[in-house]
Amino acid sequence: MDKSLLSGSTTMLILKLLEETDMYGYEMIEELGKRSKNVFELKAGTLYPLLHTLEQNNMLISYEKVTEKARIRKYYSITKRGRKHLHEKAEEWGVYTAAVNNVLGGVDFATA
Amino acid sequence: MQLPDKMVEYLETVRQQIRWKKAQAPVLEEIRNHLSDQKDALIKDGIDEETAICKAIEEMSDPVVVGEQLDRTHRPRPDWPLLAMTAILLLFGLSIQFMIGLDIHNGMEMFYKQVIWSGLAIIVLLVAYFVDFTIMGKYSWIIYLLLIAMTIGGSWFYGRGYARLTAIPLLLFPTIFAGMVYRIRNRGYGGLILCGATAIIPALLSLFTHNWTVLALICLSCLTILTYALAKGWFNVRKLYSLLILYLSSAIVLSMMFFTLISQPYARQRLQVVFNPSLEPTSSGYIGTVIQRFLSNSRLIGEGLPVNGYGQYPLSHLLPGANSDFILTYLTYKFGWIIFIGIILIFMAFITRSVLMGTRQRSLLGQLVSLAIILTFAIQWFTFIVSNSGFLLFGPLTLH
Repeated sequence: MDKSLLSGSTTMLILKLLEETDMYGYEMIEELGKRSKNVFELKAGTLYPLLHTLEQNNMLISYEKVTEKARIRKYYSITKRGRKHLHEKAEEWGVYTAAVNNVLGGVDFATA
Repeated sequence: MQLPDKMVEYLETVRQQIRWKKAQAPVLEEIRNHLSDQKDALIKDGIDEETAICKAIEEMSDPVVVGEQLDRTHRPRPDWPLLAMTAILLLFGLSIQFMIGLDIHNGMEMFYKQVIWSGLAIIVLLVAYFVDFTIMGKYSWIIYLLLIAMTIGGSWFYGRGYARLTAIPLLLFPTIFAGMVYRIRNRGYGGLILCGATAIIPALLSLFTHNWTVLALICLSCLTILTYALAKGWFNVRKLYSLLILYLSSAIVLSMMFFTLISQPYARQRLQVVFNPSLEPTSSGYIGTVIQRFLSNSRLIGEGLPVNGYGQYPLSHLLPGANSDFILTYLTYKFGWIIFIGIILIFMAFITRSVLMGTRQRSLLGQLVSLAIILTFAIQWFTFIVSNSGFLLFGPLTLH
């Protein structure tokens, strides 16, 4: 298992998306691109190894669903453990960005 | 629905990187769906199908990299029977050494040392088994430089008398070389030349430390690895050209090494004695003479016939390393050729199984690394068998 995949902020973004609703891989990339106004262009080649790692760590579970086109889709759903991890990461992120903002130019800069 | 060829090709490359078969199917299904979704979406945006397919694949990124990452995520379960088999063979070897050790001056001391080394070897083996082998590709340069530093440091520290110790890092070169070839597989002729340069340094080091066995091992395995890579169409070069370059330049380098060596009087003399140990039966040809004389008196089954000219001394006292380097000679004389044949058969079975496992490796890095390890092991074994037959060109420097 690749630990470096778990540490990145991509994990946090994926968990955040899944906190709201279950999704399949392609949907996650689309949604992430839309919400970040195409700043986050996640490659599928990064996404799937990450999803599988998260699943092995019991932060996600997956299930299959057959679509109208008879395609089998693999949906991912966040677990209790995944939610906990997300909140920890989000908190860390908050502390980090606040610190960066303090250095760059105080609170005004952050809220401007 | 029929998949376009390009997608099939992409998926196949990804599949080949994932070594754990059970994981392959569901992972590929997911990726195939993703590609189809992407393609459909692009077509909906007004792009023609052909371009849409290309774009979908492009957005997915390099199939080898994707496959490797998935391979890392889906680690296969440990092969316990294989590990158990290794442990049994190790214990078997130790007990034979114990039995012979009882019979030899300071044999027990050597046995205890062997037990300690075996313990260390087990730790290294387990680490190597469970560690993610893709580091061979990723950190090959760092490991390569470390090995060179260790070899130079070792021979400086121990002096040339301890060729055995300096040989240990050199033995790992072919495996690391496989990792390096994999890393620079896309760099064309420049990459090929770089590979040659990285192979020459350890070869020269083994030449300077007088490790002929290791020299042969490094040259042979690096050449085989490069040939394999070229035959598989790596480096994006013309196969025939590049093979010609490879073999011509190797021939030049090797013949240069050979003539430098042969121009030294000591080397010429050593060669003569290798082919005919009885020229110097009491000095440099001593071991060869003992081995040949005792083997010629060995029987198929049971202890060999007495050998004249060595008084009442048993073979274990006459032959240095009867419990290590020349254990096979000792066992053959003591219990008959049946042991010699049996051990060769076990070895052949082992190599065959390794080759089969290696060819089943779909991951490119896996194939090359297993090729390197099999070569290292087979060449060590070969030199061991040959020297235990009394032909001492290549000392059995490194087995055990």
